[in-house]
Amino acid sequence: MSVDTAVQLGGIALRNPVLTASGTFGYGTEFAPFLDLTLIGGFVAKSLTLKPRFGNPPPRIAEAASGMLNAISLENVGVEAFIAEKLPAIPDGVTVVASIFETEIDGYAEVCKRLAGVDRVAGIEVNASCPHVKSGGIEFGQDPAVLARLVRAVRSATAGPLLVKLSPNVTSIAEMARVCEGEGADGISLINAVQGLEVDVETRRPVLANGLGGLSGPAIRPIALRMVWQASQAVSIPICGIGGIETAEDALKFLLCGATAVQVGTINYLNPAAAGEVAEGMARWAEERGVGRLGDLVGALEVPGR
Amino acid sequence: MTRSNPPSPAPPIRAEAPILENRHDGGQNHRLVLRVEGWPGFEPGQFVMLSPGAVAAAPRSDPLLPRPMAVYRERRGGAAAEIEILYKVHGRGTALLAEALPGQVLRLVGPLGQGFALPAPNERALLVAGGTGIASVYELAARLRGSSPVAVLLGARSENDLMGVADFERLGVEVRIATEDGSRGVRGQVTELLGAALAEGAPARVYTCGPTPMMRRCAEMAAEGGAACVASLENTMACGFGVCLGCAAPLAAGGFALVCRDGPMFDASEIAWDGLP
Repeated sequence: MSVDTAVQLGGIALRNPVLTASGTFGYGTEFAPFLDLTLIGGFVAKSLTLKPRFGNPPPRIAEAASGMLNAISLENVGVEAFIAEKLPAIPDGVTVVASIFETEIDGYAEVCKRLAGVDRVAGIEVNASCPHVKSGGIEFGQDPAVLARLVRAVRSATAGPLLVKLSPNVTSIAEMARVCEGEGADGISLINAVQGLEVDVETRRPVLANGLGGLSGPAIRPIALRMVWQASQAVSIPICGIGGIETAEDALKFLLCGATAVQVGTINYLNPAAAGEVAEGMARWAEERGVGRLGDLVGALEVPGR
Repeated sequence: MTRSNPPSPAPPIRAEAPILENRHDGGQNHRLVLRVEGWPGFEPGQFVMLSPGAVAAAPRSDPLLPRPMAVYRERRGGAAAEIEILYKVHGRGTALLAEALPGQVLRLVGPLGQGFALPAPNERALLVAGGTGIASVYELAARLRGSSPVAVLLGARSENDLMGVADFERLGVEVRIATEDGSRGVRGQVTELLGAALAEGAPARVYTCGPTPMMRRCAEMAAEGGAACVASLENTMACGFGVCLGCAAPLAAGGFALVCRDGPMFDASEIAWDGLP
């Protein structure tokens, strides 16, 4: 029995539900020695700004318990170099989702417009976990009114598949999910990294030059699963689940909690072939248990008493 | 400035590498030998990312990240090469690594990083290494001897902290040693040995690897002495192959290079030393 692994994520057709997360997979060619990208659903490229951008001074990363903290600050080659140089280098048959961010809403709309006409880009993911300068540095995704304006602006800038990647640093993820659905997003991705801090007792300073960083990896998986489940109870648009996936089993947990697809992130650093192993493992798990379609698992979590 | 293009390195592989040997080598030093099927060979200065401890059926989430380790030597012949790594235990990852047993398997990604630039025909190569940096310069010494005059200057806190001295001596290259406590060689810093070597007058290219303050001092001395200087940088890494962007090294001209993708060896004059952690 062959398992049907294909899914539709907000208008993006995926051969299987496994994508790789923005910021953990470069621009698509870095993993060529380790992984055939046509074996996974696709990848989300490093978040792009209008102009090339340098990140924070080092130290930019620090290991944390079952995870890592990062304060890279979105270093990237800029949207023009991505279109002109990076996209053409990606082999045929690989599904590419672009990720965008800016410091102002107008900027987001501009980058979105620039990518909207590009054939090779199957969809756009809006990174809402960036500090909004005008709000005094809180993330776009932390303020429902600002998030609504952001999604409205990018929705007008592209007719193609539009996903919004949500910040977990909020009181109610369901509220943020509803904002995105209300403003016409085709889907939501969650979660992004959780704000964290690591300290050096000898220097009496934060380990990261920037101070705060984003926590990712297995440590945040229970938070991510909870938020995916909460969001899935609140909205009908498809969800892409992200947060500490290490194995096919972890990915299946996200499907059960309501995710249509998943993104594998931090694990790519320690096992560059992980995304392929997760995809293959999900199909094998389903075959062994007589599950004919991976899509049948989406939202199948049974919560006693509900 | 570098005088010739570094050789283009082979693409890295991911391998499950069985441990052939993992023994304590005196002081805090450990010697690890792995069998790596499909190993394409390596250029001096290149490194591998190793799992912190043995890989088992269930994934270990903690410590999560692989550790960068310089490749010390290799033995090739047939499909599976053996590579040798010298390391010191200084944190949780290396402590776990030290507990791994022959027969157990480590996950390896590599070789990573760029090759090194050769000295000019008339240049003497001065290899200055301290602490764990010593492991990074062995292969460089092996490749350069025979085509360039080579002197290897090694430094450590004390004799117990030195690594691989006998191996360097067996190469037949000139070895000079300095220890802070005087337990072996000259009592003092390895940078003092560099000062003396530069004062000998011949045109020289300095290759240095070790603690950042040591390398910075070597860069200053080389510049003062009119010698080129190549520094092998280190930085916290998660991936090792240019994706996480964690290992950024600030450049004097502005912006950043990645130690894993663009280095680890850099022309010392290109680095903004103040901004290195």
